[in-house]
Amino acid sequence: MIFQTLVLNLLGQFNGERTVSAVFHLLRGKRSGQTIQDVGIFNLHDYFGILPKLNRKQFDEQIERLSDQQYITILPENRYVISELGQTFLNQPMKLSFDGWHYRGNEHIFFARLSLIVQTLSYHTIGNMKFAPIQQNDQIQLWVKNFLVRHQYQNGELQSKLLEEIISSLEKIEVDDREKSIVVNRLSGVNQPGFTWQQLSNHENLSEMDVQLLYISCLQSWINEVSFNETKFPLLSEVATQVRIELTLTESANTTAKLFKKGYSIDEISAIRNLKSSTIEDHIVELAMNERKFPYDRFLSKEDIEKVLQAIEDYQTKKLKVLHEVVPNLSYFQLRLVLARGDNDTWN
Amino acid sequence: MELEDILFRHFGYRSFRPGQKEVIEQVINGRDVIALLPTGMGKSLCYQLPGYFFNGSVLIVSPLLSLMQDQVTQMKQFGEKRVVALNSFLTVQQKQAALNLLHHYRFIFISPEMLLQKQVSERLKQVNLSLIVVDEAHCISQWGFDFRPDYLRMGELFHYENRPPILALSATATNKVLGDIQTYLKMDEPYQYIHSVDRKNIHLSRREFQTQEDKVDWIVQHVLETDGPGVIYTQSRSKAEGISNRLIQSGIQAASYHAGKEALDRQFIQQQFIEGSIKWIVATNAFGMGVHKDNVRQIIHHTLPSNIANYMQEIGRAGRDGQDALAILLFVEGDANFAKVLATDDLPTDHHIGLYEIYRSRGENPLTMFHNGEISETAFRVLDYWMNEHSSEKVGQLLHKMRIEKIQAVDEMTKIVQTEDCMRKVLVHYFGQELTDRPNNCCECCGVHYEEIIEPRKIDEIPAQLDSWQSRIKSILIGN
Repeated sequence: MIFQTLVLNLLGQFNGERTVSAVFHLLRGKRSGQTIQDVGIFNLHDYFGILPKLNRKQFDEQIERLSDQQYITILPENRYVISELGQTFLNQPMKLSFDGWHYRGNEHIFFARLSLIVQTLSYHTIGNMKFAPIQQNDQIQLWVKNFLVRHQYQNGELQSKLLEEIISSLEKIEVDDREKSIVVNRLSGVNQPGFTWQQLSNHENLSEMDVQLLYISCLQSWINEVSFNETKFPLLSEVATQVRIELTLTESANTTAKLFKKGYSIDEISAIRNLKSSTIEDHIVELAMNERKFPYDRFLSKEDIEKVLQAIEDYQTKKLKVLHEVVPNLSYFQLRLVLARGDNDTWN
Repeated sequence: MELEDILFRHFGYRSFRPGQKEVIEQVINGRDVIALLPTGMGKSLCYQLPGYFFNGSVLIVSPLLSLMQDQVTQMKQFGEKRVVALNSFLTVQQKQAALNLLHHYRFIFISPEMLLQKQVSERLKQVNLSLIVVDEAHCISQWGFDFRPDYLRMGELFHYENRPPILALSATATNKVLGDIQTYLKMDEPYQYIHSVDRKNIHLSRREFQTQEDKVDWIVQHVLETDGPGVIYTQSRSKAEGISNRLIQSGIQAASYHAGKEALDRQFIQQQFIEGSIKWIVATNAFGMGVHKDNVRQIIHHTLPSNIANYMQEIGRAGRDGQDALAILLFVEGDANFAKVLATDDLPTDHHIGLYEIYRSRGENPLTMFHNGEISETAFRVLDYWMNEHSSEKVGQLLHKMRIEKIQAVDEMTKIVQTEDCMRKVLVHYFGQELTDRPNNCCECCGVHYEEIIEPRKIDEIPAQLDSWQSRIKSILIGN
């Protein structure tokens, strides 16, 4: 149910202006110009890349179900409209919160490190250091080894410090106990194996996918909490090192951004980088989405921006084609820049 | 030093299990050995112990990455630090570091793919090897069911003056496969240790049903009445999910296990199974390797295995503690045909040969077939090997022959279902061995009474509620 509601909500946010695949690419965090721009245009940062491993079959099943239950109607070419029944559903806000833009699957790195630390400390408590590590990934193992050595795990005080941090940080976040239990039940220690998704799904009476969404949501809130309170949670914020993505541009867009900030024009950057100017434009749009202080005046006047916002308001659309007809003196690139900001109230 | 001393000092055992000492003695005397030891009989000790006897390194070629990883983890766990695994899991830097230090390792595990890389084989030549081990050696045989083309190329690599002895290990090999192992590895009059494939404490049963649904109903009823721990083998992920959910709904502590599960889940299932909080596992053939549980009491086959070797390996996971165990094979009419489809599903077809030709004539890498989703990975591996060896016509004939072999293998398997004589006899004869004597409750034909083999179900108390998250994390970290 949770997953289905999520998909319906996202279809609602796209407002029928994209195909159903746009939702799929959004959830998987596809790093293409189109998907990244959509994130800005429809303000979907929170949901970007929350399910990097989602497969098409699982997704299509949900779409089929939504259509069978008449929440949506599927149109030719993979387009759709939300039915009235669907609309009534959309009026209730999503309870579950995500921060996909800043994690994109990286929350699993945090959990992998933490689960190996917890397992090791659990075995250390009973004085047995011969066990099969729960995480097989070499990089995770190396990271955890360094962490444990750095914190002198052998003197036996790390356990209680970590316990205190886990409990106080988890208690602080506004997430249901159910979600917190799911996360903690995925940890394991001596004689306490973790619970599988199948078991948690039976226990919560939810599908495995739904349980995983609760887990991801809780993890992301938790990591935000510890990352922003390093002094309160020194250990956990260290476990979260380089998990949260602060630099959200693609690598290539970042190179363009550096040149752009030095004052080069699109044509100049295109020449320097030997890339098509349309590619450079994609990068600039991506930058505009990410940069709160983007210098719009390099491309548009205040009046132009007003006109576009007015057109969006008047025609209730974010379709470039329509907007271009209403404001013909602006290029598609200029229109995309305006759309890139997404939320209108930040324009002042 | 006596072998028993090494055994106790490094492994903590006072005595050898059957076969181990014979194999080790021959290896130490420099003789090539083929050892056929059933799973769970301590195969790995046959090369681990000589590692402490010799000065040089032991090279272990192993085709199954997960198994390799598992071995290395276990050895490290038991304090052996001079062990390394060279396989595709390594990054370029890790691989380079491992190669630089190669001479330093006592045990070098390697995948066949890696072994054939020039950089690696050149480096290996500089290392003083005392023993070459080929694990899962049946993979060398094109008649084997896990045929690995890379294994075939290995023979040439090891064919040089004064090479160390080769130890070929397998749990399942027919006489034909044994011959292939000897030929392809170019072994020099190898000493053969063939342990009887017959496991007397595993009692063989079979049951016929009218419909597929009847089978599942029977499984649920049977599991509600008799005691595990047990494994139920089925052929697909969705069946494993379906049956396990039926069991869970009936109040049984069951879990599904297949290659689609994420790594952490698989670990949890293994741990819970070993510790006892999961009683039944419903699995595809992905389950088994690397699971060390001695007291499995029942193995139920929901579907017909595609060959006797697989069946043998799967039932062999029961009763490793030597206590009685029961293996029940379920079938309905039509299962054999289904098993045939499944068994040949992964073989390349004439269509694939044609495609391969087209790519090659265009000067494109035929691997594109795999990337375009036109062929499975296993099928491509087999096809690619043969297409480099023979003309397409010959490859077509070969593949046709393999297809027939696989279908015949299913027919062999159905003999176990059909025989009126003795299931155990069919099983043992398949491996070219003679059945010496029969245990009580031998098999369905000789008569088998479940109640004399397994116990009635003991119902465990399942905690009604899980601990609060606070108390769970506390008890994990600092105990109660």
